[in-house]
This record gives sequence, structure tokens and C-alpha cells, in this order.
Amino acid sequence: MPVVRLYYEDMERLIGASRDTIMGRLAMMGADIGKRAEEEHVDVEFFPDRPDLYSAEGVARAMQGFLGLKTGLVEYPIVEGPIVLQVEESVKSVRPIIGCAVVRGLSFTSEAIESLMGLQEDLHWGLGRNRRKVAIGVHDLSRVTPPFRYFGEDPDMRKFVPLDFAEEMSMKDIIIRHPKGKGYGHILVGCKRYPLIVDCNDQVLSFPPIINGQLTSVTEETEDLFIDVTGTDGMVHKALNIVVTSLAERGGRIESVLVKRSEGDFISPNLQPSAWTVSVAEANKLIGFDLTAQELAECLERMRFGAIAKGREVRVLVPAYRADIMHSWDIFEDAAKAYGFDRLEARLPRTVTVGRAHPSEVQKAEIREVMAGLGYLETMPFTLTNEKVHFQWMRRSPEGAGAVAVMHPISELHTILRTSLLSSLLEIFAMNQHHPLPQRIFAAGDVVVEKKTRMHLAAAGIHSGANFSEIRSAVDAVLRELAIKAEIVPSQDGALLPGRGGDLLVEGLRIGCFGELHPLVLKSFGLEQPAVGLELEWGEL
Amino acid sequence: MLSENDVKVLKAISEGDSDPQSIAEKLGMKVEAVRASADALGEQGIIQVTKSVEEIVSLTEEGTKYAKEGLPERNLFQSLGSGKPMSELKDPAHKIGLGWLRKKGWATIQGGEIKPLNSALKGKDEEILQVLLAGAKSSAELDKKGLADLKSRGLVASSKSKEWRYEITEEGISRIKGTERTITVGISAAIAQGITQISSDLIKNGEWGKESTDNWVKLDGKLYTARPYDVTLAADRIFPGKKHPYQRLIDFMREIMLEMGFVEIKGQIVQSSFWNFDALFQPQDHPAREMQDTFYLDSLADIPDYSRVKEMHECGGAGSAGWGGCWKPEVARQEVLRTHTTGVTIKYLAEHPEPPVKAFGIDRVYRREAIDATHTPEFEQLEGIVMDRDVTFSHLLGILKEFYAKMGFEEVRFRPGYFPYTEPSVEPEVFIDGLGWVELGGAGVFRKEVTAPFGIEHPVLAWGLGVSRVAMLKLGLKDLRLLYQSDIEWLRITPVSIKL
Repeated sequence: MPVVRLYYEDMERLIGASRDTIMGRLAMMGADIGKRAEEEHVDVEFFPDRPDLYSAEGVARAMQGFLGLKTGLVEYPIVEGPIVLQVEESVKSVRPIIGCAVVRGLSFTSEAIESLMGLQEDLHWGLGRNRRKVAIGVHDLSRVTPPFRYFGEDPDMRKFVPLDFAEEMSMKDIIIRHPKGKGYGHILVGCKRYPLIVDCNDQVLSFPPIINGQLTSVTEETEDLFIDVTGTDGMVHKALNIVVTSLAERGGRIESVLVKRSEGDFISPNLQPSAWTVSVAEANKLIGFDLTAQELAECLERMRFGAIAKGREVRVLVPAYRADIMHSWDIFEDAAKAYGFDRLEARLPRTVTVGRAHPSEVQKAEIREVMAGLGYLETMPFTLTNEKVHFQWMRRSPEGAGAVAVMHPISELHTILRTSLLSSLLEIFAMNQHHPLPQRIFAAGDVVVEKKTRMHLAAAGIHSGANFSEIRSAVDAVLRELAIKAEIVPSQDGALLPGRGGDLLVEGLRIGCFGELHPLVLKSFGLEQPAVGLELEWGEL
Repeated sequence: MLSENDVKVLKAISEGDSDPQSIAEKLGMKVEAVRASADALGEQGIIQVTKSVEEIVSLTEEGTKYAKEGLPERNLFQSLGSGKPMSELKDPAHKIGLGWLRKKGWATIQGGEIKPLNSALKGKDEEILQVLLAGAKSSAELDKKGLADLKSRGLVASSKSKEWRYEITEEGISRIKGTERTITVGISAAIAQGITQISSDLIKNGEWGKESTDNWVKLDGKLYTARPYDVTLAADRIFPGKKHPYQRLIDFMREIMLEMGFVEIKGQIVQSSFWNFDALFQPQDHPAREMQDTFYLDSLADIPDYSRVKEMHECGGAGSAGWGGCWKPEVARQEVLRTHTTGVTIKYLAEHPEPPVKAFGIDRVYRREAIDATHTPEFEQLEGIVMDRDVTFSHLLGILKEFYAKMGFEEVRFRPGYFPYTEPSVEPEVFIDGLGWVELGGAGVFRKEVTAPFGIEHPVLAWGLGVSRVAMLKLGLKDLRLLYQSDIEWLRITPVSIKL
């Protein structure tokens, strides 16, 4: 989740409340506050559904409402500006959507630059799906000359100096050599032309979604910004709205840009709120409080919605920077936050039902009782294992075992789901050789064969006198207690010593095996004492 | 007061046997019994008991290799000739050797060249390696400094063993003379023979003293006495077979859910993305679905009629705007190891859409995370849901309060949270002495976008929590791996009475 660094002094100035007041209520607005608050700042995690809170300015705007200092919808005036951006046909198959805006009259402090850069990165991650859906470029407007052009360029043709580099590079070179190119180049794989924004002198502002030009990089001297947001769907405009409104909270003046396209021109940004009408009864029914329309409207105003009570309904204006409101329940949740989760009455529902354990758990409990009674300690090994331990060390063939392999294992230890339990028990013995023998352990757990979950029991013992009769007695006891009628035949299982192992057959089907483990198996696990084991399947989901 | 064993042991010691092992072998007794007798003799000043701790050292695998092939600095030294440029050091073993070469003062580095300084006499450490190659030795017989160097390099491992030495005292010699005439000793009546195991014959046919202090029995004209033991002495440690402490915790939580009237449900470990993600209104391009976090399988599942789920994702419905974009059935068919139990829950609800439903499950879930003390690629999750007419978010808070109280967490508070498939969402926190407020699980009301496509018309209150996190709190664990890769000693000593 995105982490936003909030400087106390900055926040006090932006919100107009004391540090203690802010910190006392912040969590109840919906935030995870870092454990270690520093002298001057605190790191706060905000949730992925609220990209409008990924900047100090956005947090301040919300906090002012939550504390009741400034409530209701914020209106951001937009000055109609002279700048034009032309979208050309060549870019539409690559990255069709663009929104842009100008923000003037900014005076950047280092905190403000940090906040803006942080906001940009967090929007790229969340709304932007790692820049695939949304990528943002922020430029020093004074370094370039409008009108601007957004088009698809031949990757080999164009050379320019990318951000943080001193030399000119072709777009193709940037993809191969620049760190951002390596990081995000995959988004453009298969594209014959790459998106590019240039000014009227053909100077490069941005190569979305990869990198800006060095020319327009933002410094503390920058006063006027040109912002471009490109991508593949409507989230582009949400991201633009979030950026420009948070800059406006810093005192910037928003100026519109005329975007010219063959399918129709439009003026960007569009900060018109969207209008919703919600039912008070529905809100009360979901949350379980009992608010009047007026009270509900007041709650929503504190979450910076526009809200007017009308009979049993509330007319709600959702700010253009909110990306999370897709259902009236999203609005009701905000009302509940404003009301305060701590003020809601926590009461039990009257739903009458009868509890019932799953039959497999009942049986598992019986198995545990038997095994503990026979002196075995329960273990609960991982269900993930690997072919080497599971098959090779056990002298068993993976052919036809039906093991499920994961596509991208995170370590070589965990590449498949176990199809049996015995090897996991031997691994536990291997880890416990420094503890006194005899050791006797069991596991009653899930295995997965041909993608289906089945229930197994395995038990094993290790000590200098471990032998066939010990495990045969245990098998007999288990079969008797679980009322399993199994026929015992000599086993061909490679894990068992020939002549000292048996298979368990029920109606001709092999449900398990038992016996003395083959010394070659023991050696593979690094075990130096004789061991015996049993395993059987007792159910499936 | 000497028992029969004591006398036998004393005799052996007087004959010059001085360690418990050889005495035990000679007398056919257990070592522990010999030690117990010797301790008793020692207390009475009949023998002198000297306890000492001996350190036994032996070569590690690496140490054995060097003992056979020579230490890396020795090999490097021999390859130097009159000097050798640093750039020629390719063998990683030589790089290890270089540090020691300088430390031992055999060579120096000048202008990027290694120059020998002297003839590099064979060191104590090398002598020790040779000695140990023949087998483990007591550290007392070896050079201290050389041994310390080898230990610090991980070439030698040590283990401690306790040793007992027994020697007879003057007192003992005189006592021996007194006992030589008879094997019966001890109590005032030298005629009563001390016995350890009461036999069936003695019970059936013996004539037992009846007073409460009597300890004698007559059989066939002979007098016996049950040898009194020092009942305060520690006995051998034994342990019962037991349920795993973590299973005990899981069952404790299951019982709470059953008491609260929930039905236990289960589902497959291998799930389709459809049930694991799409049915929960997780957009198909959501970061949580990426390969980094989820174990995908190279296979496709059959999925049920998806038209309503597809429509909800693409165009919305039930009052929602939907995600837009194009929902692809082939993405939904990709199989995964379930990343949560919620996929099992929504499937159950889809099969049981009529209210009321109260269901829960505790099962293993899988996340593609590197393993460390606080992360395991698989762990248990508890999940509970209540679906009924007229249940509200406030009811959810009520259920959570009750559930956590039964878990032993009396103080609970609620903070707004975010989960992709619930709205409103809440993060419960419980107060724990010494830790303060600890976030434990998440909860919320299933979004309409989740329930509507399956014809579930009433609100679904849901909550879940990681059971292994509870285990860390309740069992005092520092390392989650202990739950799955169990230390047998931990299983043995964790009592069934552990407070959960």
C-alpha cells in the first residue's frame, strides 16, 4: 500500500489544526499509521481505493472536513487557457487517452516537491497498474513553447536527452539502456510506434509511459507546470484531477488546455463533480445507525462531498478527484466513517442457526486421538514441497503421481504440492537429530493429487530398535480404530525395504503402505538410525 | 545406610573402576543407577566424586577437507614462488587463504604482488588438523590458541561431555571390610534382604508387616525389605503423544465458531481464478492478481456460467458502475493455489443463496512470499460469514466483539479499513498487554457487485484473520516456521494445559 510521508509542520499549516488533533483522528479516517513516528514526520499508509489521499495536500483536504474545519465540496476554479495539444492518429493504437492541464503560480518547497513526486509514483502503482493504464508527466512549462503535439513516433528516428541522463538517446536505446526503459519497456512490446509529446520546436517533453525529457525537469525555481497524463482508459482523467487539485491546494491556479482530436476536441481538465441521489433508508439499513436525511448530509459534507437533504433522500456531489465511488454503498461507508466507527453500536444479530463441524474434521479429531494414544506427536508440515525430496529421495517415481506444480516457485524447496505425507515426516526427523530418540510423529492433513484435495494420515518412528513389527502393530491399531477393512500385500514401494513393507488395499485399490524405510531413503534425508513409517488415505473432499 | 546396589557399586570402585560407564557394564546395571548409587556413597563420604566437563573436538566437513588437502594459505604459499601478482588469484579458496597468509605473517602484499616473507613453519593449527583427522579428541590435549583459530574458521566443532570419576576414601575402605562378609546391608536388621521389584509371589504368598511404618515381608522363612528410594530424585523424562499446540489453537477457534452457531465449510486447495478473484469482483488487471503474489498453475479450470459476473465487471449492475474494460473468461479459468478462503465462501453462498446462512472455515491459504520468521508461503486463515435479512454493519461489529472476547481479547476497537470485496470495511484491533493495540484480521459487508451476480439478495457480513498471527500471540512464537517445521523438543515440552 502507498506510504505517504507527512511532515507535521507542513500538515499543521495546510490543515490549520495542531499536530495532536490531526494525529488523534487520522487513523479513524482510514489510515495505517507507521509504528515509528519520527521527530518531524510520520509515514502513513493509505488504502488503494483512495488515490486522492496519496499526497500531503489530499490528506489535508480530507482531514479539514473530517475535523469539521472546512466541510462540503471544494470548488476549484479553472482559468481558460490558450494552450493547445494536438492528438495525432498515429498514437491511437498505442496509447489513445490523454488528459492535460497547466498549473501556474506555484512556489515549490522541498516538501511540496517530495509530495508531488510521491503522489506521481503512487498513482502510477495503484490507479496506473504500474504505468500500464496511467502514466503522469510533470513539466516546467517555461522551458518549452506550445502548441504541443502527442503522436506515435518511429522508435529509431527520434533522439533526445532523457531525465537523469546527459546524452541524447534514441527511444529504442532508452528502452534498452535507461533504468525506466528497462522497468517499463514491456508495456510497449509489439508497438511499431512509441508515444511522444513535443512542443512547437520539436523539443521532447515526454515519452510516455517511460520517461520525461531532461529539458522540462521540475526544480525549486519552477513556477508553472504543464501536466500530461496518458493511458488506456478513463482513469487517466481521474489521475489528472487528483494531481491538479492537490497542486491547487498548494496555491496553484489551474488553467485548462484545449485537446484537439479527430473524434472531437475537449477542454482538460474537467473537474465537474458527478451527481448521485442516495436513499437515507438504504444507508441506515446497511450501516445500522438511524440518521435523518439532514444528519446523513452533514456526515457526507465532512467527507468533502456536496450533500443536500431532500425528503428521504440526499443529493450527493462526488468530487472529481474521487476514484472509488462506484456504488451508493461506497458513499454510505464514508458517512459511517464521518459518523465514527467508535460511535456505532456493536450488537449481535438475531440470526438463529445451529453450528455443525465438517465431517472430515470430526474424523481428523478421531485420528488424532488414536495417534496420540499410540504415543505419536502431531506435526503440521507444509503442503508445498519439491520433487527431489518428495520423489527422488523417497525412491518413488513422479510419473503418474499427479503432483501439482506451481508455475513460478519462489524457492526450489517449494515447487509442488505434496501427494503424500511421509517424506515431510522424514524431513522433520532430519531437523531433529539433536533431540533424544525414540521419536514418533504423525500428521493428518491434506494432499493434492490431480488437483483434488485428499486426506491422508502418516506416522513414523525413528530409533535404534525401530522395526517392522512396531509399525505393523500401529497399522493394525489404526485400521481397527478407523474401521478400515484393508487387505495387506507385499509392497513394491521404493521407499520401503523389500520384504519389510506392505501395501494396504481396499477393494483392490491401494490406499496406503507401511514398513521399514529403505536405508537409501534414510541416507538421502541424512538419517542414521532405522525408521519405520505408515501412510494411508482416509477421505477426500 | 547402603542398598544392595550401593554395595555392588562400592565394591567395583574399591576394585579400581572409576567411571560410571565401565562400572555399569561390569555390573550389568544402568548407568543412571550407578550414578545414583555413587552420589549416595559420595554424600556419606565413602567415596569421592569428581565431576568434570570435557570438551570433545572434531573436524567439520570443511576441516576434514583442509586436513587432507592442506589449509588454503599453505596451498597458496606453496604456489607463490618468489612472488605472485594479486590478479592471478582466481581460485576462491586462495582468496580465503590470502587473509590468513598475511595474518600469519608468511607473506606481504607490495605493489599488487604477494611476496613470501619467511619459510612458513608448520603452525599449531595444522598440527591439530592432522591429529583430529585420526578422530575426535579432548580439547585439553590440544594447543589452545591453535584450536581457537580453527574454531573461529569453522573447521572444528566441539561438544561438551560430562565426566564422573569415583575414588574410594579411607572411610570407604573401612566400610568395605564391614560388608564383605554378607551382601545384605543397610537397615538395622542385617538379615533383611533389600529388594527393588515387588514380585507377584511376594504379594500372593508373602507375610507383610501391618504397621504403617513396617517395611518387611517374610517369604519361605526369609526376611525381605523393599529398598527405600530417594523419592525426591528426578526420573527419566517421558512425554505423551499429543495434538500439535497449533492444532489445539485451531480447534479452540473452531469450537468458538461452532458455539456461535456457524457451519464448517471446506473447499479445494486448487481453485480457478474465477472463484478466487473474479467472483469477488477483483478486476482482472488488479495488482494482487499478479504472478508476484499468487502461485499460478499451468492449467485451466472449468468454470460455471459466468455471464452475470462478466456483465458486472464490464458494465456494472445492482446500482454499480462496474469496472469497464473487457472481462476475459480465459483469465478466469487460470488455476491458482487459493490465496484466501473467501473463494470457498462465495462458492458456498452461491450454492446456498437462501437466508439465513452462517458459515466458517479454517484452512490453509497460499501466498507467493519468501519464507522468513514472520512469513510463510502457506498459512491458516479463519473466515466467517453471516448472511440474513436485515443484518447490518453494526451487527458485524457485534459479532466481531463477541468472537474476539471468546478468543480472550476483551478489548476490541474498530478502524476503517479497505478490502477489495467488502464495503464498508473495518480493521479490528485488540489490546494486548505489553504490545498495545494490535491489528488482527479484517472484516466488512460483501459488495453488491460480489453478491448480486449469484442471486444473493441479503447482506453478507464477513470477517477473516490469519491464525498463525494469533499463534504468535497465544503461543509466544517468534518464528512462524516452528509451526510447520517443528522442533520435536518444543512439541514435547509445550503442555496441553497451555493457556490459549
